[in-house]
Amino acid sequence: MNPSKPQSRHQLKPTTTQGRLVLLGINHNTAPIEVRERLAIPSTRLADATRTLLHQPGIREGLILSTCNRVELLTLQDDTGEAANTQPQTKADLLRFLHEYFSVPSSDIQPHLYEFREREAVRHLFRVASSLDSMVVGEPQILGQVKESYTIAREVGAVSTHLESLLQRTFTVAKKIRTETQIGSSSVSIASVAVDLARKIFGSLQGKTVLLVGAGKMSELAARHLIQQGASSILVVNRTQSRAEKLAADFASPTVQTEAIPFDDLYGQIPRADIVITSTGAPQKIFGRSHGQHFLHARRNRPMFFIDIAVPRDVDPRMNEVEGCFVYDIDDLQQVAAANLADRSREAAVAETIVSREVDKYHERLQSRDAVPVIKALQQQAEELRQAELARSQSKLASLTPEQRAAVEALTRSLTAKLLHPQLTALRESTRPKDTD
Amino acid sequence: MIMSLLWLRVAVFLYGIAALAVLPAALYDRPRWRHIAIPATIAAVLFHFVSLAEMLNAAHHRMPVDTHETQTLLGLLLALAFLLVYWRYKTVSLGVFILPICFLLGLVPAFHPSQESTTVPFVHTGWIFLHVALLLAAYAALLLSLLASLLYLIQERRLKQKSPTLTWLPPLETTDQIALKALLFGLPCMTAGLLIGSLIAQVTVGASYFRAPKILLAFAMWLVYIAMIHIRRIAGLRGRRAVYLSSFVFFVVLAVWAANQFSSVHRFTTP
Repeated sequence: MNPSKPQSRHQLKPTTTQGRLVLLGINHNTAPIEVRERLAIPSTRLADATRTLLHQPGIREGLILSTCNRVELLTLQDDTGEAANTQPQTKADLLRFLHEYFSVPSSDIQPHLYEFREREAVRHLFRVASSLDSMVVGEPQILGQVKESYTIAREVGAVSTHLESLLQRTFTVAKKIRTETQIGSSSVSIASVAVDLARKIFGSLQGKTVLLVGAGKMSELAARHLIQQGASSILVVNRTQSRAEKLAADFASPTVQTEAIPFDDLYGQIPRADIVITSTGAPQKIFGRSHGQHFLHARRNRPMFFIDIAVPRDVDPRMNEVEGCFVYDIDDLQQVAAANLADRSREAAVAETIVSREVDKYHERLQSRDAVPVIKALQQQAEELRQAELARSQSKLASLTPEQRAAVEALTRSLTAKLLHPQLTALRESTRPKDTD
Repeated sequence: MIMSLLWLRVAVFLYGIAALAVLPAALYDRPRWRHIAIPATIAAVLFHFVSLAEMLNAAHHRMPVDTHETQTLLGLLLALAFLLVYWRYKTVSLGVFILPICFLLGLVPAFHPSQESTTVPFVHTGWIFLHVALLLAAYAALLLSLLASLLYLIQERRLKQKSPTLTWLPPLETTDQIALKALLFGLPCMTAGLLIGSLIAQVTVGASYFRAPKILLAFAMWLVYIAMIHIRRIAGLRGRRAVYLSSFVFFVVLAVWAANQFSSVHRFTTP
């Protein structure tokens, strides 16, 4: 269900005897950044906020998820008393908490709020943790953020039995979606697409050399991504030598060797590089097709990857025709990112099916768990009745042989079990979800 | 039923399962299917090995003399090569080609066993087995190298066309490494195999054996093989030209194999 749409259909009837699950929140679909930033809670204050939430009337367990794209309150509330059974009241309580804690008028928050209860709250939580509700579907950070919120809530005692099992299930579902679909396997940002392409060419980037020609935010970002993946040497070339030296110094670390190369040495030094990121402001191309042939010859045909972020382009696209030279300009990278995004959408549809299945399973398990105490109580009552009746007839049964006593014992047990059977079956059936649900 | 045939049929069945499971494992990157494909291949290799040992033992010779026995041994070596590549590079992509080949190589011997037999006494020596096994290992390595080079070519083409959406293909450097290392592994196998064969021929037949065109072709194959490795290493040959070169050597090897089927020289079976 899309959280951007107001919820018209809630499961008003409580499905569990252990409390009512209510999720209230805003996200990037429902609220602009101006609203989200007023409700954002830094991780240092999350424990305090969770504690305050737990002290609200009727809240038994609670968790706050606060990221740059969403603020959500997941609560387990008392389901006794009339107030708790009315939907507007519980919403008003949580709204009051938001208003008091953040000093933001309720009228500013309410139009952007969405609310989910019971089954739909479970579904929403599964979707959020699996990154199906994220701005960039499939991004991996959200699961870590949910886990961090869970850890904090657990530390302050805001998560116990019910939310504990729900969150554990949530993590399992998110992991399952990661392994059974390819929702997060392809990159959708320019820098990560460049890294992915480099990995398709070189496999591991351990020990690879990256050459930065010119400077720019995006080329720096791509270089940092490559270093994170294991690139161990960064060469920097700039028309202004001091800028090259400064940039090289910025990249320096114990695991990364850096070197600022004079611009005049560019063509002589370039065969050292496996990956070349160019973003100069040169009005014409600085690398032609013949340069590619020359570089490859000098490298004994070891492949080279040119990432041309400059506009106008620095690398002649015909260099891509040289065997072993791979040239991607900004448009090529954007096209790959767009194709990957489309792939993710297809995988998201598969993931939604998994979420639906898992919500059903979770609900079924929850309901069977709720039926267990009633079943046990019925069985105990029947057994007590059986024992009482046997005790009443004690004097009449005194003359029986041990075998006859055992037969009577078995007979009464069997009768009790058969009398209880239809009731227990009906009870178990009633806790199973209906097909029409 | 002969036990060796039963084990071979089990192995073929397992190769079939592995060949099917490797498709989603490689093409759609589904780890669950990889967990079926790899154990199925390992089990198939074990059954295949037991079957081959029993087959040779029952025939009272140590050399795979007929076409079916040779096919079986080649299938086993290819499956082992696939497992070795998986262990070293964690890629199952080559299985898309190798496992169906293993399945097909085992299929005919498993369901239509050969009736050929041998009366030549020296095929009962361990050296002969080594000669055949080493040469078949060299053939398997060459086939592996050719397949890896083909994967390199496909991946390179996708990257050049700016549509690198085939995630199942291994990185270029990995396929290049597999192709080169397979060739480097095949060279000592082929050299030792030919050397052992020559020594046996010298002792049993004499110098006239080496004047047969088919035997000369086998030595020409060895020279071409060495030339190919030399070119690849010195010039750093990759991509399309490497595939052409590997294909050329592969067809020379096929010619040597085919010559073995039609010539009476170097043939030790009676129908």
